[in-house]
Amino acid sequence: MNRSLVILLGALALAAAVFAGSYFVSQRACLMTRSSDELSWLRDEFHLSDAEMARVRQLHEGYMPQCAKMCALIAAKQAEVQTALGNGTNVTAEAQKKLTELGELRAQCQAQMIQHFVTVSQAMPPEQGQRYLAEMKKVTLGSHEEIEQSMSDHAGHEHGTN
Amino acid sequence: MGGGQNPAALEPMNENMNPDDAKLGALLRESRVSPSLPPRFQENVWRRIEDAEAPVKSGSWLDAFAALVLRPRFAYATVAALMVAGVLLGTYRGAQTVKQTEQTRYLAAVAPDSLR
Repeated sequence: MNRSLVILLGALALAAAVFAGSYFVSQRACLMTRSSDELSWLRDEFHLSDAEMARVRQLHEGYMPQCAKMCALIAAKQAEVQTALGNGTNVTAEAQKKLTELGELRAQCQAQMIQHFVTVSQAMPPEQGQRYLAEMKKVTLGSHEEIEQSMSDHAGHEHGTN
Repeated sequence: MGGGQNPAALEPMNENMNPDDAKLGALLRESRVSPSLPPRFQENVWRRIEDAEAPVKSGSWLDAFAALVLRPRFAYATVAALMVAGVLLGTYRGAQTVKQTEQTRYLAAVAPDSLR
């Protein structure tokens, strides 16, 4: 093989190794700085002061037991729904009732969650609070809206073809 | 220094180099062979001198590029640039990953999957 080509290929390999090495080392170093605090994202993303952070932490710690309680209720209701559905091929009145109760519990939990987001957003500076609330609504309710939107779009197409 | 030489030592040469010997001089001139020079001899000589003095040129662009890559200044600059680019990009991607992970962890705490 041509000597110059070997030199250039070697230089290219060395350059790739230098780039990849510095990339992975710095990325790893960055990942090692990750905090173990559950609320560190709030502090970094919304630039909260220590006082604001203390207030948000207090609200968070007050909300978590309520959230855990609702999660336990939902999990229990889901088990009841599974039992009511059993191995049957149709939805019984009992299963229908359990599904309605499950939906109500989820709605109740969701309302409680949104209320928590509103309260937390009020503990932040106004601009950051609005941004936090918008972000939380997007990631919690946004997926439902996307599914509903896609379903209505799909239904619209169906009607259009008929 | 020249005054130190013995004049007698030069005598035999002076005897043979008699400037008055015209016949001998003519014979010597006739016997001297002067070969004809090849065409553009002088130009070729100068060109060869110039080529010898000029820096060595590589045969192809690949050789020229290899020679450029092997220059220390170029090599150090390239390594430094690649390291800086790698560190910047790695830090940026690392920070993005950290942010994403922390956001996911917060959401997992306050908004269970069943509600999303």
